[in-house]
Amino acid sequence: MKDACLYILKRLFLLLATMILVSFLTFLAFRLVSGDPVRTMLGTEATAEQVEALRQELGLSDPFLLRYVHWLKGFFSRDLGVSYSYRQPVWDLISGKLTLSLLLSLLSFALIVAISIPAAIASYRFTGPISGWPRTILNQLGMAVPPFFTGILFSWVFGITLRLFTPGDFPGFQTDALASFIHLFFAACCLAIPRIAMTIRMMRSSLISEMNKTYVLTAISRGNDRKTVLRRHVLKNALVPVITFLGQTLAELVGAGIVVEQVLGLPGLGRFLVTSITHRDYPVVQAIVVILAFWVVLSSLLADLISQAIDPRLRTAALAKGGTA
Amino acid sequence: MKKKMNSYLLTGLIITGTFLLLALIGQFWTPYVPTDMAYGRFQAPTLSHPFGTDNFGRDILSRVMEGAGTTFFIALLTVSLGAVAGTAVGAVTGYFGGLLDDILMRLNDALTAFPSFLLALLIVSLIGPGKKLSVILALGLVFIPSFARVMRSAFASLRTANYVTGARLMGAGSSRILFVHLLPNTFKVFLPAFTIGFNNAVLAEASMSFLGIGVTPPDASLGYMLSEAQSMLRAAPWYAIFTGLTIVFLVFGVGLIGEGLQLMEGEEG
Repeated sequence: MKDACLYILKRLFLLLATMILVSFLTFLAFRLVSGDPVRTMLGTEATAEQVEALRQELGLSDPFLLRYVHWLKGFFSRDLGVSYSYRQPVWDLISGKLTLSLLLSLLSFALIVAISIPAAIASYRFTGPISGWPRTILNQLGMAVPPFFTGILFSWVFGITLRLFTPGDFPGFQTDALASFIHLFFAACCLAIPRIAMTIRMMRSSLISEMNKTYVLTAISRGNDRKTVLRRHVLKNALVPVITFLGQTLAELVGAGIVVEQVLGLPGLGRFLVTSITHRDYPVVQAIVVILAFWVVLSSLLADLISQAIDPRLRTAALAKGGTA
Repeated sequence: MKKKMNSYLLTGLIITGTFLLLALIGQFWTPYVPTDMAYGRFQAPTLSHPFGTDNFGRDILSRVMEGAGTTFFIALLTVSLGAVAGTAVGAVTGYFGGLLDDILMRLNDALTAFPSFLLALLIVSLIGPGKKLSVILALGLVFIPSFARVMRSAFASLRTANYVTGARLMGAGSSRILFVHLLPNTFKVFLPAFTIGFNNAVLAEASMSFLGIGVTPPDASLGYMLSEAQSMLRAAPWYAIFTGLTIVFLVFGVGLIGEGLQLMEGEEG
């Protein structure tokens, strides 16, 4: 137990180190290419005094490393700096959008898990009508449909024709909770469809390779039927690689959500990121990038911990390595 | 050694071939001039305009044929860039191992700890949005780590093979072993990875152009056309549908090729 705590602590420390690295690199990258934000904000007709005053206000006259340390200190107290284009604290601008984006990712993740795992088991067990090439074709088609195209189709069919939601006009949960949920649900479906297809494929091949192992043969020869063996022995083992894959999927969902938010007009983080990139509003971009990186590292940590909870062999392996994994 | 053709591979090749043929023709000849605005606005698909016309009265089929070429071209260049660089990294790290391997693989891990699409988006916005070259460069860079990982394990698993020891005993140098003996044997790993990478490239480029950061006019890629189509969804739904289906058609075809290749190697159960 003590070892396990130590392991988690080490992983958390590693997480922190990754975050600091990512934030430093983005800081550096923007410093190298961004030009002078003050000039962009004030235009060409500003006087030297005005430029200097704004530069002081935004803290741009300090040396680079000092600015980074200052930013990092602020990050932990949710002071992410001031947006260049809105002149408002970045955190106030993004906190609501962050919640919406997280909701979208989690909802679509829930759909992926709830649909693909039972579907994979079913597609393994039933070798009836949807087996062989129809299954492959369906699977490949599912993977081939890009979320932004599904988004457009959904807004045409369910939005414009059936009027279940208004594309491009998200009401907000305070105004109309039901309509907001429906809007979010369709967005989550767009994100989920190709990933459901991928997860089913992954889970199915994992089941197949697990069922061919000798312990299954032993269990069957002792008089168990295949169904029980599948449920009681194989499922857990087959899930391990799928959980790692799902961890990556959870991490990717936020990035992939950018396009879907844009298509269906959800005021989420991704959409704000795109506008901030085009307006060169670097404090906002920086903050969002670091938050998303945090999300990615956190999801892979979660996936690792869950796999280790399921498979004791991974647990001992991780502990034996002293938590350096 | 001769591998049997299977129906997935064949269907995939036919679909991709059809796409490529139409895209190639589209570079030299289209049924109408793609930029000509003379065919009536928002016309539903008819025999003379199978995909209909858009808000300027341009023939959509002609535009799709032209845009398909751009999409295919960018995806191919992108994935080739990622594949060649990734294979080089994978070969060196997988074959030699050691300190360089450790360093490059840790760097690889750090890069993977980041949504690749987001990374590409940032790179494009830093090196100049709206240009074909920056899209290719950004996406190509982003694809290097995954190829490096796959190829590294392929090279690492082969380095102890008997024929490698044999070649070394006969006095072959490292570069000869890598290029002449190992490289051809990693092809069965490389080809499926290439098809998956190609599809990711198509989708990433389309998403990026859709967001207005990737390819912008006068170069019309399918992703950019889709974003244009979205704004006229009410008046001309066929524009979005046919453009989107063209992307699905390509990704589906290449996906089947990948499936067929894997089946040929007997990796799929």
